[in-house]
Amino acid sequence: MLKAIRRFFGERASGQVARQRMQVVLMHDRMDIAPDIMEALKNDIITALSRYMELDRRTIQIDLEQGKNYTALISNVQVKRVYRHRTSG
Amino acid sequence: MAGKTIVVTSGKGGVGKTTTVANIGSVLAKKKFNVVMLDADIGLRNLDVVMGIENRIVYNLIDIIEGKCRKQQAMIRDRKMPNLFIIPAAQTREKNAVSPDQMKSLCMELAEEFDYVLIDCPAGIEQGFRNAVAGAQTAIVVTTPEVSAIRDADRVIGLLEADLLKDIHLIINRLNHRMVKKGDMMSTEDIISLLAVPLLGVVPESEEVVISTNRGTPLVHERGSKAGMAFRQIAARLNGEDVPLDTGNRATIFDRVKRFVWS
Repeated sequence: MLKAIRRFFGERASGQVARQRMQVVLMHDRMDIAPDIMEALKNDIITALSRYMELDRRTIQIDLEQGKNYTALISNVQVKRVYRHRTSG
Repeated sequence: MAGKTIVVTSGKGGVGKTTTVANIGSVLAKKKFNVVMLDADIGLRNLDVVMGIENRIVYNLIDIIEGKCRKQQAMIRDRKMPNLFIIPAAQTREKNAVSPDQMKSLCMELAEEFDYVLIDCPAGIEQGFRNAVAGAQTAIVVTTPEVSAIRDADRVIGLLEADLLKDIHLIINRLNHRMVKKGDMMSTEDIISLLAVPLLGVVPESEEVVISTNRGTPLVHERGSKAGMAFRQIAARLNGEDVPLDTGNRATIFDRVKRFVWS
C-alpha cells in the first residue's frame, strides 16, 4: 500500500529505473572496450565536417558525457575556416 | 559428422552456468544424443556435484591434456543415462595449466565422437574464460535480471564477438514473474533490448533448482517443474526444434487495469 502511494506521487518502478541505468552503463562500457571504434568514429566525424569547413585536426576531442537521464557525445574541434560551398572531399 | 561444441558462460559468477549445463546436457541425452559435458572451471569444479558423480572421479580434464590417461578414462558416465558423460575439472591445479590451443584440440576430438560437447565456463574474463571459449562454435550467455549480471553479460558478449564467436544465444535465469508484473524487475523484453542477443529461453526463479542440486539430480528429471520445463524447451530450441518462446510477461486484462490504477 505504501508503495502504491509512492507510485502515485511519481516514483518510478525499480525495474524501469534499472533498465534506464543499464542503457547508460552499457553504452559507456561498450565505448570503453573499443578504443579503435572511438578512433574510427573520430575519423568519420572529421571526414564529414571537412566537407564543410577546414579543421585543425590536432585539436579534435570526443567524449561521452553522462547526465542523469542521457548520454551525450560531445565533440570539440577548432574550425580554421568555413568553405563557401560544400566540397566533395 | 562432427558434433556441436557449445560453451555456457556469463561473466558474473553464481548466475546458473553449471545448472544450465547439467540440465541442457541431460535433456539432449534424453533425446538420445551422445553428450559430453566438460567442466572448464579448473580449481573450482562444481559440475560433478550438480550431476551427483563427485565420488566417482579418478582422472580429470588436465590428466587428459597432459596425457596421463586416455580420454575414456576421465569420462564419467551419468547415473541415469548411458549416453551422457562428464569430464570433471582438476581441483588442485591452476587455470594456466591448460592453454586455449589444447582446449581447442580436445573439443575438436570430442566433437568427432559426440553429438554435443557442452563446456561449463568459469566466471570471469581471464585465462579460464579464454580456455573455455577457445574450442566452442556456439556460446550461451546466462544472465539473471539483475544489473550486475547484465552488465557482465554485455561485456562477455563483446569479448566473444571480438573473438569472432558470432553464434551467441541468451538465457535469462531466475526471472521472478511476480516482480516483473509489479514493475520491480527488468522484463525479458527489457533485457533483450539491452543486450541485443537472440533469446534461447527464460527460466523462472524456483526453489526446485536448489532442491535438485542438493540431491545431485538435474531438474529436468522431475515432472511438473516449471524451471525444468524451461530447460527442456531451451534444449529443444538449441537442437533446432521449433518451440515458441513464452516470455511469461504477457499481461492479463486484470494486470493492465491494476497497472493503470497504480500508475
